[in-house]
Amino acid sequence: MSAKGAGGPGEIGRLATVIRAGLRSNFGLATLKHRLLKEKKDRWLVPLIGLAAVSVIPMFYGIVLLIENVYGVLKPMGQERALLSFGILAGQLLILLFGIYYVIAAFYFARDLEFLIPLPLRPGEVMASKFAVIVINEYLTVAAVVLPVVITVGVLARGGAGYWVNAALVYLALPVIPLALVSLAVVAMMRVINVSRKKDALILVGSLVLIGGAFALQIGLGRSGGGGGPQASAQAIAAFFTSPDSLLNRIGAIFPPGIWATKAIAGGFRGEGLANLALLLGVSLVLIAGMVVAAERLFYRGVIGLGETTGKRRRLTRDEMSRRVSSGRRAFAAIFGREWKIMNRTPIFLLNGVLVSVFIPAIFVLMATLDRGGRGGGSAGGGDPMALLRALMSANPLVVILGAALFMTICGSINGTASSTFSREGAQFWISRMIPVAPREQVAAKFLHSYLVAMLGVATASIVAAVFLHVRAAYLAPAAGLSLVAGVSLTAVGMMIDLARPLLDWTNPQKAIKQNLNVLLALVADVGILTAAFFGAKALIRAKLETSVVLGVVLAGLAVLAAASTAALLKFADKRYPEIE
Amino acid sequence: MIELTHVSKSYNRGKIKAVDDLTLTVNPGEIFGFLGPNGAGKTTTIKLVVGLLRPDSGRIAVEGFDVAKEPLKAKQVTTYVPDFPAIYERLTGLEYLNFIGDVYGVPKAERLERIGKWLEIFELASVVTNPIQSYSHGMKQKIVLAAALLPAPRVMVLDEPLVGLDPRAAHQLKEMFREHCDAGKTLFFSTHIMEVAEKLCDRIGIIHKGQLVACGTMEELKAVDRTDTGQSLEEIFLELTEK
Repeated sequence: MSAKGAGGPGEIGRLATVIRAGLRSNFGLATLKHRLLKEKKDRWLVPLIGLAAVSVIPMFYGIVLLIENVYGVLKPMGQERALLSFGILAGQLLILLFGIYYVIAAFYFARDLEFLIPLPLRPGEVMASKFAVIVINEYLTVAAVVLPVVITVGVLARGGAGYWVNAALVYLALPVIPLALVSLAVVAMMRVINVSRKKDALILVGSLVLIGGAFALQIGLGRSGGGGGPQASAQAIAAFFTSPDSLLNRIGAIFPPGIWATKAIAGGFRGEGLANLALLLGVSLVLIAGMVVAAERLFYRGVIGLGETTGKRRRLTRDEMSRRVSSGRRAFAAIFGREWKIMNRTPIFLLNGVLVSVFIPAIFVLMATLDRGGRGGGSAGGGDPMALLRALMSANPLVVILGAALFMTICGSINGTASSTFSREGAQFWISRMIPVAPREQVAAKFLHSYLVAMLGVATASIVAAVFLHVRAAYLAPAAGLSLVAGVSLTAVGMMIDLARPLLDWTNPQKAIKQNLNVLLALVADVGILTAAFFGAKALIRAKLETSVVLGVVLAGLAVLAAASTAALLKFADKRYPEIE
Repeated sequence: MIELTHVSKSYNRGKIKAVDDLTLTVNPGEIFGFLGPNGAGKTTTIKLVVGLLRPDSGRIAVEGFDVAKEPLKAKQVTTYVPDFPAIYERLTGLEYLNFIGDVYGVPKAERLERIGKWLEIFELASVVTNPIQSYSHGMKQKIVLAAALLPAPRVMVLDEPLVGLDPRAAHQLKEMFREHCDAGKTLFFSTHIMEVAEKLCDRIGIIHKGQLVACGTMEELKAVDRTDTGQSLEEIFLELTEK
């Protein structure tokens, strides 16, 4: 008997209920309300988030000024619409890239699937509920990219009601097409993977292939066809936006929804605007329908049994058992080993933690590879970012060393390993609370794990800097030294933030790392520390001190910060562990 | 030995009193069964004993070690089995047992002997090298129990340990309880199974709305039964917790 037949809600009502439950569960609004208003916890976060929001205002102001300048160049040529396309396409490609993470985690690794699947719901309804959650998440992700462009252009062009109404509708529809495409690809991939015995490995490889493909698409298209060189800014910008072989036109040709969205906004209530809006919304609806149809056929076949592992039943012989039973490692080594194994064996953690640390270096490798492929050896042609970076890297040795150190530090510390180290334990945190090991010893082992992941990023960045940016070994060594010392405090600060408010009640591992506010807060703190270091170094350079003196002072400053932050972390661990309930 | 002295714990800024002025001693060599309706304060009390929660007031000591002031010494002599086996699913059973052996400092010879024994008893020997993720609920419960037994602790605290176990494993676990306490060690566990509590426990405590409403041997509890109609633990329990 159907739910409707039993007097339950109709299909639309049921779908709305499932979506509403998904949104409530995912965004934890009830929990947040309870914590803020009833338990009066986490209230300190409100001013902190306000402060973080205020701190990004200068950055947005700079972006708005840049948009205004570009608009001023394009307007006399009647090409200001290209700017709008650029913002929208950038947002959609961002969704295409990061959506892969979200879709895999939400569709296949969320624990709520265990109780959603037995409910009398169709696979398409379950998937639609999860899709809605991801779409809303993406509104937040792309806001920083799309809104400044759309709003600034709208104000400068004095857009009428048609502009703003269509812009709002386009914004609401923006993530749907790229996410639906990603969902279709992922659903098909998981259907194949679920029949395999090496599921985790295949998920990892499959995700990397999808991400690599999205990257290659962006970078490949990003190679500007126009000449001009970095010095000819106005002409270069104009060529970038208007040349028939430009980035925009090439992306537009391959990914037309970006162009439809632009025409819908710019056209307003006129025929062109309404027609393109209808096209965008119509295709979005068709893709959602296609996704639901695909879900009905493929979703459950991909998800049911995914958690099953194919362990063989085999007894160990006495000798084997004797070899495999540990002869007694120190607690520090045991905890470090646990961290390492769990991180590396959980695909979502590995993708969002360890692999992110080699993400940025990998982008450089891709850029350089495509650059060579496209240009036959990589000339310093116009608009070539690698050539520009190489030119920068052959400047003043001090600038090269500090620049390379900054690059390595960012590559090492941008991953969320440190700032999710306690959250990742989730419901298993009781074990860490119970074992007879001092909190500071446990935290020290976790620190070593997070720091090694950071070092992996530093090492990869060093190789990229040497091979692709041609930074000399004499500059690389001090740069690596600086970034390794800087990494200590960044790791410690990230861990302190996560220890202050660990997210332990997650049902989807993605929440522990990718959607964990602590990771974002740690990034803000990292930017603060690196900005302070940058201004400190800048002041020393202006004072015209010797290179070795400047490097020595920066190193000493970072070392003091490293010592202070690790001491603070260990002290905080002793205080905080017993408080976490 | 476990000693709770005037222990109180509340939630929601004092609005919900989960444990209210609880004083209780569990002696060495004793199996102590802790009973109570849902939400009576059993799990909160257990979490207070093992240090997972901090009391608002009162003192808790395990083997003479104050849980608040000497937590590591108290933890070194205690193991705990939670009501739900949330453990590291990406480790194999053997890796988890090795981890517990390492952090409790169990020497290799003893580790090898105890792991072999408990894997046989709980019928986990053929799956111990598989990821815990592949285990059934009951198998996860068994690996948590095997890990809790590995350090041969002086005090074991278990929250609903029989839930999810098959009859054979439940029987063996009850025998292990007796063996543990016959060696002069302490065992404190909560259960909803009256028959188990009645037959197995040396003493029983009944908690209701955060307060200990009865505590003693089965004979002592029967003497408390004012109705004088039923003599089973179930009837005593129902009478004491009906309000």
